[in-house]
Amino acid sequence: MNESLFDNTLKELEARTEDIRPSDVVMFSEPLRSALNFMIRLGRFSLTELSEKLEFTREQSKQIADHLVERHLFVISRFSNDEETFYESRLSSLTRPLTRPPSDIWKKID
Amino acid sequence: MSKIISIHSFRGGTGKSNTTANIATLLAMDGFRVGVVDTDIASPGIHVLFNLDESEITHSLNDYLWGKCTIEQAAQDVTGHVGGEIKGQIFLIPSSIKAGEIARILREGYDVGLLNDGFRDVIDRLNLDYLLIDTHPGLNEETLLSIAISNALVIIMRPDQQDYQGTAVTVDVARKLDVPKMLMLINKTPTSLDFDDVRARVEQIYNAKVAAVLPHSDEMMTLASSGIFSIRFPDHIVTKGLRSLVDQLKA
Repeated sequence: MNESLFDNTLKELEARTEDIRPSDVVMFSEPLRSALNFMIRLGRFSLTELSEKLEFTREQSKQIADHLVERHLFVISRFSNDEETFYESRLSSLTRPLTRPPSDIWKKID
Repeated sequence: MSKIISIHSFRGGTGKSNTTANIATLLAMDGFRVGVVDTDIASPGIHVLFNLDESEITHSLNDYLWGKCTIEQAAQDVTGHVGGEIKGQIFLIPSSIKAGEIARILREGYDVGLLNDGFRDVIDRLNLDYLLIDTHPGLNEETLLSIAISNALVIIMRPDQQDYQGTAVTVDVARKLDVPKMLMLINKTPTSLDFDDVRARVEQIYNAKVAAVLPHSDEMMTLASSGIFSIRFPDHIVTKGLRSLVDQLKA
């Protein structure tokens, strides 16, 4: 896998300032989108599996995973050990932001 | 290994909840343990098909999302509610049908990630073979989440121009989320149409497999969500179509 593809993937993630949601995953470029789809469906997976799917080196994949943990798409599993890091897909801890209606309609419903 | 199946339609009124309830029942009749989650929080309704009275809903999906109960506590065994010979079990996680609680979730939002955790947890804790997710029509974060984690997606549409266009959006998104199995179900088809032609047209437009073409059914309309169609009308052509869909989901 060439360096520029990794650099572009990393830039794509670094450009994000908010948590990553399912709608963001749809928009990611390859190989990130396919790899994330696969891992999200697995639910629990290792850094080795992520690396194999991304076809980046282990170190490069770790950098990607660190960003995804920071953006709450993944959490590091308690099953991680010195030899292997395991992750669980979480798909953002953000509360869905909603626009409040201009009127005081909620009080009427409450 | 358990499977997660999302049942979705771009537009409302396609028979999504009815189909979900029937898939759950047919799978349970085959001996499977099936969970059904009503993620249509804004307009819940599938509990009606399982004859679950509001007074029987002690905990709902809303309670789980607010941290008031575990997902397991929100799951209600509705096996005995459907009638018929059920070898497996059906658990329903209903959304709240209290106006104030619907309003609260719309107003405050909730942690979408909790849904993901809940889906995984309920499969483990109830030892489910299948988890069916009855989604909200259209596309939102919850629906995308459901599709993203599903092993199979059933897209329901009617042979209607609005459905044709909207369904294209869903199919496109499902492809971007790499759903391993995507099946189309054409529902409420007027009997005056050539079913083979409808099937061929849909398969050509979306390049996706049509699992079944179901006719508009007066019996379904008359039943009016007061029960599970495949139990009441086991030999009906609609039930046969639903059975075919279930067999393809199991394959």
